[in-house]
Formats: sequence, structure tokens, C-alpha cells
Amino acid sequence: MRLTGLTLADVRNYSALEFEPVPGVNVLAGPNAQGKSNLLEAIGLLGTGKSFRTSRESELIAWGMPLASVSGTAALAAGTVRLACTLAASAAGTRKIYTVNGGRVGYSHYLGRLRVVTFVPAHLQLVGGPPALRRSLLNAALSQESPAYYAALANYAKHLAQKNALLRGGVSPDEDLLATYDERLVASGTAIVLARRAFIASLDERASPVYRRWAGGADGELHLGYAANVPCDVPTADAVAAAFTQRLADARFAEAQRKTSLVGPHRDDLEFRLGERALAAFGSQGQQRTAVLALKVAEHATLEAYAGEAPLLLLDDVLSELDAERRRAFLEGVAGVEQAFITSTGAVDTPVAATFSVRAARVERVA
Amino acid sequence: MFYLLNRPRAEAEALAEAIIAVKDRVRLCSRCFSLTEEDPCAICTDVRRDAGLLCVVAEAKDIFSLERTSAFRGRYYVLGGLMSPMDGVGPAQLRVKELIARIGEDAPREVIIATNPNAEGEVTALYLSKLIAPLGISVTRLAYGLPIGGDLDYADEITLAKSLEGRRSL
Ligand SMILES: Nc1ncnc2c1ncn2[C@@H]1O[C@H](COP(=O)(O)OP(=O)(O)OP(=O)(O)O)[C@@H](O)[C@H]1O
Ligand SMILES: [Mg+2]
Ligand SMILES: [Zn+2]
Repeated sequence: MRLTGLTLADVRNYSALEFEPVPGVNVLAGPNAQGKSNLLEAIGLLGTGKSFRTSRESELIAWGMPLASVSGTAALAAGTVRLACTLAASAAGTRKIYTVNGGRVGYSHYLGRLRVVTFVPAHLQLVGGPPALRRSLLNAALSQESPAYYAALANYAKHLAQKNALLRGGVSPDEDLLATYDERLVASGTAIVLARRAFIASLDERASPVYRRWAGGADGELHLGYAANVPCDVPTADAVAAAFTQRLADARFAEAQRKTSLVGPHRDDLEFRLGERALAAFGSQGQQRTAVLALKVAEHATLEAYAGEAPLLLLDDVLSELDAERRRAFLEGVAGVEQAFITSTGAVDTPVAATFSVRAARVERVA
Repeated sequence: MFYLLNRPRAEAEALAEAIIAVKDRVRLCSRCFSLTEEDPCAICTDVRRDAGLLCVVAEAKDIFSLERTSAFRGRYYVLGGLMSPMDGVGPAQLRVKELIARIGEDAPREVIIATNPNAEGEVTALYLSKLIAPLGISVTRLAYGLPIGGDLDYADEITLAKSLEGRRSL
């Protein structure tokens, strides 16, 4: 898939912008604080309805303005689609309005049309940071990929919050009600576990050769593993559900004691290993960085394989994170993708499809 | 409100009286907990309705929606809300005990749980079926489906999947 046109109105430092990207690699070049990351963020917002930088979406609205709006046209295998996402600040929070081909839709009908894989420097925390970061990477990718995953995740989160309220004593304890929540958690949780298991297996298969190509063989093999809270090395969905049910039964006393739920995919993790060692504990900064980028390339390839068409690749400041050798290897690796956007403060020395200069919120094609 | 400000005082007084009259007369039906002027309500006392079918709804207003369809000829029971411990609503805050007592007395052959197809409605229905099924009474739920006149193209995947699960032979 490909973004063919983008229009911004009062988004961050852009009061009005018309931008026509090209197929292949689009470099957004310019000095600091000109609007490169803002433009990338706007493309991400168009695709996912979310900012990759902040959860306080009102920050995306240009200072002093009531609304921000991103709209764009994308060429998909299924045809051309027009998307728009508008943010409106109000006392109650930021409201978001989504449209597809001019018709208003809910978020679950919007998400997944224009898919993106994003790298921002904050993702370098993925290896060593808290598990919630790694779960949100899995959720963001799989929610774009499958509406059923997004629905299972939303359903799971609701039932989990209710179960926790019950365990905390929000209402008087009731075994039947607790059992009902557990059954619902098993139903949606099993779907989540199975999707994550398949996705991580594909990430692992694809990330290892990428890492080897960039780092040579000396580092050892990169492996991505699913540290599932519910044992899922059993083949069928029914067997996973049975294992989940058993874990809940075993944990029932502990959950009552601790007044919170202790079992389920909300406690999952994604492991990075180099050879036999945990990358978080033993990897150098450079090794962790290379592993995260290999993961992103693998995520892009997996989503492409799942959907039969490639998502957009959004890369913020990725080049400054690499030495000259790995930068060249990385750019060669992404040169063949259907469409990518890369911000850079300097010129890029390998051939790209187009370079746009970004200065004070003006975007001009320069090469 | 603005409309009222521009009307004669007498009109406002008549309206106020009407509201107070409603407040004085309308109460909960002691059998089904719907709103009524006569207790028990017209539905509970209508002998032409099938006492073997009991439809459980969250709120009294759901009865009016179902009655508009004229498709249901059984009796109702208003639970008084949906399970939501986050909002302090559990079995004790809903009329669950009274429902089990009512089922014990009437021994309907089928209890239909007509709660919304959202997370709270789902849990409420499953919870009730856990309590009712051991009484040897069949418990059913409203089917999820596609909106009539809707286009398959525009139905979301979840609704489509649910309606596939609930498909019927022709
Ligand atoms: N809501 C907003 N309204 C107006 N301007 C904003 C808003 N949010 C951020 N800005 C401004 O946008 C400018 C450009 O930010 P951006 O992050 O896109 O820079 P950049 O080109 O990526 O720079 P760098 O190379 O340093 O990463 C910043 O100077 C910031 O002050
Ligand atoms: Mg930047
Ligand atoms: Zn009644």
C-alpha cells in the first residue's frame, strides 16, 4: 500500500500542508525542530488514529487552534481509499472523528486500512524497558492486522478491569461472577495468545537473518521468543484454553489474596536473545539497537506476508542511531519496500526515490 | 426549556401538575419491576400471554422496545441494570435473588436473556445462565445479527463473525 497524498490542517507546526509522497523511500531532510517528526507523526495518525509520540493527543493540535485534521489518499490493493482523522479539543478530552471515503466510521472500522510500521528512537527501550512496551508493540501490529484481534483485546481489557474491581472488593465477592469473568477472559485471551504466538514465530524467523546480515555471525543468532504467561506450547486453541483455565484455577487463591488478577496474556512478554543469552542483560547498546531494527524489519515483512501487501514504513531518526556500515546495510535493506518515510538531519548517501526538504513547516521536493 | 419560558404561566403549571401526577401514580410492578400505574402491571396480569416464557431485560425501557416488535408473547422481568463491579454493581445491586425466586414460583420452560451484546450484557447473561441452568430450565440469549436492510459489505467483521456463529438452517 502507498500514501499518494496528504493534507494537514493545524497539525503541530503545520497550519496547512499539501504533501505528495512518491513510491519507494521518501527522505524528509532538514535541521532540527523544522517539522520532520511532526510530518511522520501525522502519517502515523492517518493510519492508526494514534500518535506514536504521545498519548495526550491534544498536543497534536496546533497551539491556539480548536481542531487538527489529517487527511490523505492511499493506493491499496483493493483500490483507492480516502481517510481522514480529525482531533477536536474539548474540556472532556480530545475527541477524534474518523472518516473513510467521506463517511464517518468508528475506530474499529477505521483501523487497519492504511497500515504502518513505525520506528522512533524511543523504541530502543524495547529490549531493556518494561514488558508493557513489548506488549504494546505486539498489540499495535496485530490490531492493525486483524479486527478480530483488536476486538478480543478490547473485550479482554474490559473483563479484566471488571474482574480486578471484583477482586478489590468493588462489590461483595461472588464465586459465580468471578467464574464468569474467568470464562470470558479465557475466550478472548486465547484468541490473543494464539495470534501472538504465530506473530512472534514469524518475527523470530524473519529477524534472525536480518540481524546476521547486519552484524555478521560473530554476535550469535538473534532470537525472539514468546514468554507467554499461559503455557501455549500446545497445538490447538482448545488446549490453550484448557491450560489457561487450569492456570486461573491454580491462581485463584493467590488472586484473592493479592486482590488482582495474576494470570493471562496481560502478563505476556517478548524475549530477545542473542545466542543463549538474554539481550537485555548482556547485549551492548549497539547490539540492542540492531536487534530493535531487525525486529522492525521483521514486523514489516510479517504484516506484508499476512495481508499480501506491505504496510508503510515510518522511520524517525533511524540513521543517527547507526554507524556508517550498518546505515548502508540498513538503507539497502529498506530500498526495496513499497513505501517508506525516513527523517534525517543530513543528506542520505545511498540512492532514494525522493528527498524532501523540511524547513519551518514547508516541505519541498529537492531530489 | 426555552419553549416553556415563552409560554403562559398556566401552561407551565398544567405541565408541572401532570409531572407530579405521573410521579404519584407510576410505581414498580411487584412481579416484573417494570413501570406501571396498576400493580401488577398489564403484561403480568394478561392471561393471554404465555407464562412459560420469561424474558429478562436490564431496564424497563427495554420492554417497550421489545413490545414494539409484537413478536414476544411471554412475560418480562426487569433486572435493574447490568453487572459492573467497576461501577459498584454486582449481583446484590441487581434483582437477582428475586429473579431466582420468581423462576422458582412460576417454573417457566424457557428464560430468554435479552441484554445488550456488549461486555457487561454478555457477562450478565452468562452469570444468570449459571444460576438458572441448574434449575433445569432452558436459558437462551438474543442472537447477534446483521441489521436488516444492511449491506454485508458494510457490516463489521465482528458482527459478521457473530452472525455466522449464530446461523440457522433454512
Ligand atoms: N501543537 C503544536 N503547535 C505548534 N507547534 C508545535 C506543536 N507541537 C510541536 N510544535 C513545534 O514543532 C517543531 C518541530 O518539531 P519536530 O519534532 O517535527 O522537529 P524535527 O524536524 O523532527 O526536529 P529534530 O531533527 O530535532 O527531530 C518544534 O519546534 C515544536 O516547537
Ligand atoms: Mg524529529
Ligand atoms: Zn409486571
